[in-house]
Amino acid sequence: MDDVFRVEDLRFTYKKNGVEAVRGITFSIRKGEIFGLLGPSGAGKSTTQKILTRLLKNYTGTIEYLGKDLKSYDNTFYEKVGVGFELPVHFSKLTGMENMLFFQKLYKKNADVEALLKRVGLYEDKDRKVGEYSKGMKMRLNFVRALLNDPQFLFLDEVTNGLDPKNALIVKDMIREFKEEGGTVLLSTHLMNDVEELCDRIAFISGGEIREISTPRDLKIKYGRRELAVEYYENSATKLETFDLDELGENDKFLDIVQNRTIETMHSGETSLDDIFIKVTGEKVHE
Amino acid sequence: MNNFMVLLKGEFQRLIKYNIVQVGFGVSVLWVLVLFLIGRDQAADFVPLFIFMDAALMTILLIGAGLFYERQENTLKSLMITPSKMGHIIASKLVSAVYIALQSALFIGLLAYFFFDATVNFAYLLPFTLLIALSHAIIGYTIAVLVEDFPTLLATLMLYMIVFAFPSIFYALDLFGGLWEIVLVVSPTHASFLLIDFAFGHDVSTTLIVVSALYLLLLAFLLARYVVFPKYIEKAVRE
Ligand SMILES: Nc1ncnc2c1ncn2[C@@H]1O[C@H](COP(=O)(O)OP(=O)(O)OP(=O)(O)O)[C@@H](O)[C@H]1O
Ligand SMILES: [Mg+2]
Repeated sequence: MDDVFRVEDLRFTYKKNGVEAVRGITFSIRKGEIFGLLGPSGAGKSTTQKILTRLLKNYTGTIEYLGKDLKSYDNTFYEKVGVGFELPVHFSKLTGMENMLFFQKLYKKNADVEALLKRVGLYEDKDRKVGEYSKGMKMRLNFVRALLNDPQFLFLDEVTNGLDPKNALIVKDMIREFKEEGGTVLLSTHLMNDVEELCDRIAFISGGEIREISTPRDLKIKYGRRELAVEYYENSATKLETFDLDELGENDKFLDIVQNRTIETMHSGETSLDDIFIKVTGEKVHE
Repeated sequence: MNNFMVLLKGEFQRLIKYNIVQVGFGVSVLWVLVLFLIGRDQAADFVPLFIFMDAALMTILLIGAGLFYERQENTLKSLMITPSKMGHIIASKLVSAVYIALQSALFIGLLAYFFFDATVNFAYLLPFTLLIALSHAIIGYTIAVLVEDFPTLLATLMLYMIVFAFPSIFYALDLFGGLWEIVLVVSPTHASFLLIDFAFGHDVSTTLIVVSALYLLLLAFLLARYVVFPKYIEKAVRE
């Protein structure tokens, strides 16, 4: 059995407001995979991560980590686990470097902080107070924070949130490398893009329930809009026409455009979270 | 370095970076200025009161506000996912709060001794200040983990002072009325006040001192064991 996490009928209710954020979810995360929790805002992704990282305790159902009940572990559990939070988690009056060194010393195994900071482009700013960092810088520091102890399992909650495309790319590359070196990842996100580029398997979650566990490819085929949007030039104007992907080769209008017009762009329908959400639940995402 | 030492070092680093040591020292200086204004004749009478306010009330405020501030910065969550033990995390914060109180007590005590002819027994003052700061730090935590938000924390602290601290202050200033007698029996602040008074050579019976010290110790233990420990994680994690 190669499951790192085995979660069965997990339920959690926030006592404060009585919100049942997780409603009986079952899934497992295999060793060496990047497992995505994909779902709209308020779906219960962060709550699930907080339960698996043992920050929320009063859950029902069973969670096994490496074959043993999660509750049977003491705090040495965290030696091999890295946690990336969805919000900045730093001392604002300490510098980036001071923050990292403080947290790092609490672990037995240490990654190379300077190398990590260089990689995510924070090295130049390492001696500035975190309070002066931009949102994207704080999120990159969060990511470095998660890797401080050279973990084997990585929890990442909205890891690309607030990052520009260049930095998002760097972070995604690092996640892929982490996996190649044998690491396992739980990635929570509402971005279809992240899931497609990174995840081996995904659970689509909404309203605290898992609606579907699948691969990004299957999810896309099942829920994607099977259509092609073509922009072409005609009578000195750009026109847009959308075609069904099925039996495209027999579509006269399409063939006419391809053969006789100047085509400007051609896009197959991109699956968006909205598409999946609408098809699974019959509602629109309120984000 | 073991985790407790790392945590403790971190706490002290932050006491300085967040200007808490500096502010604490500033408050002590303020007290001393007030003592000068009061004048040599009566200043010695006020010294125990000021040390008591620093060790008891400032500590509650420091710990209570500190918890909310850290919760806001989400740093407690980040600490909770390290291999550190809960007990070590809380203990490191208690030690740093106690340190601030000791620093003030020593500063005010020394000045009182040299400039205001106060009778100070440092062999009592320092351990008693430690005990007072420790128990009040735990009281501060107790309040902080039981209330929902910062305004409620402040309101509760005010209430705490009205119920427990003011009677002791009135008592110290000889404004004591019989009405408060009942409250004084169970008031941790009053127990603290007796200890400080004793360290300044005032006439307090040995039995009362022993009872006060044991009472503070027991209270600190019970609150830590049954309120602060079980509630701390829950409080630290919530957004
Ligand atoms: N600390 C909290 N106290 C009370 N209720 C909460 C708390 N955190 C989340 N909730 C509620 O639990 C539900 C799930 O929230 P959660 O944060 O897990 O969603 P999410 O999928 O991570 O959303 P997002 O994409 O916006 O981060 C929501 O209804 C939310 O209002
Ligand atoms: Mg979330």
